Amino acid sequence: MDAKELLKKVRKIEIKTRRLSADIFGGEYHSAFKGKGMTFSEVRSYQYGDDVRVIDWNVTARYNEPFVKVFEEERELTLLLVVDVSGSEVFGTVNQLKREIITEIAATLAFSALQNNDKVGLVLFAETIEKYIPPKRGRSHLLRIIRELLEFEPKTTKTNIGHSLEFISSVLKKRAIAFLLSDFIDDNYERELRIAAKKHDLTGIRVYDPREESMPNIGVTLAKDAETGKRSWINTWSKANRMKYGGYFKNLEKQFQLAFQRNSAGVVNCRTDQSYVKKLLNYFKTRG
Amino acid sequence: MIDQIVFENPEFLWLLCLMPIGAAGYYFFWTSSRPLVKLPSLEGFKNSKSFIPKALPLLPSLQLFALGFFVLGLARPQIVNVSTQSFTSSGIDIVMAIDVSSSMLARDLKPNRLTALKEVAANFIEDRYTDRIGLVVYAGESYTKTPITSDQSIVKNALSQVSYQGILQDGTAIGMGLATAVNRLKDSKSKSKVIILLTDGVNNSGFIDPLAAVELAKEFNIKTYTIGLGSNGQAMAPVAILPNGQFQYGLTEVEIDQELLQEIAQSTGGQYFRATDNRSLEEIYEEINKLEKTEIEEFKYYNYQEMYRMPVIIGLILLVMQWILRKTLFRSFI
Repeated sequence: MDAKELLKKVRKIEIKTRRLSADIFGGEYHSAFKGKGMTFSEVRSYQYGDDVRVIDWNVTARYNEPFVKVFEEERELTLLLVVDVSGSEVFGTVNQLKREIITEIAATLAFSALQNNDKVGLVLFAETIEKYIPPKRGRSHLLRIIRELLEFEPKTTKTNIGHSLEFISSVLKKRAIAFLLSDFIDDNYERELRIAAKKHDLTGIRVYDPREESMPNIGVTLAKDAETGKRSWINTWSKANRMKYGGYFKNLEKQFQLAFQRNSAGVVNCRTDQSYVKKLLNYFKTRG
Repeated sequence: MIDQIVFENPEFLWLLCLMPIGAAGYYFFWTSSRPLVKLPSLEGFKNSKSFIPKALPLLPSLQLFALGFFVLGLARPQIVNVSTQSFTSSGIDIVMAIDVSSSMLARDLKPNRLTALKEVAANFIEDRYTDRIGLVVYAGESYTKTPITSDQSIVKNALSQVSYQGILQDGTAIGMGLATAVNRLKDSKSKSKVIILLTDGVNNSGFIDPLAAVELAKEFNIKTYTIGLGSNGQAMAPVAILPNGQFQYGLTEVEIDQELLQEIAQSTGGQYFRATDNRSLEEIYEEINKLEKTEIEEFKYYNYQEMYRMPVIIGLILLVMQWILRKTLFRSFI
């Protein structure tokens, strides 16, 4: 991809997703992620209806009239985008590849964060951590993130979700809003998930293709596993075979859903032929 | 008649070397040349028990074998049918005069003299396929079993039927046997006429004196080979007939009138042989066979039958099979 073409693409994504985040997501993102940390800002005199629990007894004693503490929401949020760039992402049978959808979702989230004046960081992972961009504020930083999302070429092809979760648990000291965008073709990541979900406000966004749910009959075909790179002949005449194929992904989805829900992390399932906007909006609403 | 398969253009068979090369090519490049579907994960197919992917090498091997059969067809296989016909410029006439007296059942040759003789004589007849052969049997009397003929199968058939049946009056009438044989040959226009006279005893019967028969033979210019059959000393020979019709065997002296036989042979330009066992009998016939050389002209007729259709058809069938399999069982939609 040459620079000019890349810039054009970045621009296109920016326009599309910024409009999305401005028009549709608007406050939803804001209200959904309020930030748990409250910082003390001032004391003011008690008024009828104030919670007695927030009375500052020291000041009350000093002035001999009740005062309450006023907190301010901590608006200094950090958004961390954890994006799977493994081989299986380069797959798509409807309009867009999984990776393109993921890029759009990530960009939308990033622009929403920009409106909130939040910091945005990026982790690209496959079998290992492929790239880490520490959280920073500002539009140019954001465009760089989008550029990376668009053009990054991973060195490994497999997916290791556990490793990426471990990484985000350790790399950020402060609590952050983390979005894990992947197709979750991996298992055995629950231990790392538990730790990461405790530390961060974690949401898993699973992007999948309709052809992962059901395999059409394409006869006897040479197929390549995008994750392992292995080639083998598959027989899709057999309905049992096709069911097994679909069953494998269904099983992965179940695992993903169970694991995230058990650790009170958010779950979004996005099919590539359905609108992710609606899904995200729904998710933010139910959170808020 | 010899049937064999030959190739008219065997140099094309070198093309068969293409088969292993093709096989290697398929092995190394076939998978990489096929259209490929990239799927997120093939884990789901890992445990599928389908024979079709395993049977897949069938397609290229069918193609290869079709190629092989086409090469075979190209080499033009032919079935060659060689029929040999021989013509003799001068075939000879032979009459075998065989003694079938009861003493021929003596067991000094295995299993007995007559059976041993029949075997050896049959071989002799087979070797003399260019000549005309007749068969005369005699004991106390004589008669012609077959006149001289070039039809070997008749002679051989007749020979196999020769046995001691008691039809003829028992005894050994050498003169009668010789005379009957001479009678068979006297009208022959053949350049060379031969009698093979076989006996195992002494002339003791018949109304023709052997020496008179010899004169007849000389008259008609007939060469006579004589064979005296029987071991030296004593032999188990029939001595009496039991009430149930079977023979009583006993040791008897073997006596052969050697002087007479020698006389017959010499005076007609033949030779006298003495056979004491199966082996020597065989050798005698071989000897006679050699002595009576005939010139043979042999013509070989080559009958070619083109066989290229078969491999070509098989090759076509294989190709069609491969095509059908590819369109059905191994069908791919991409």
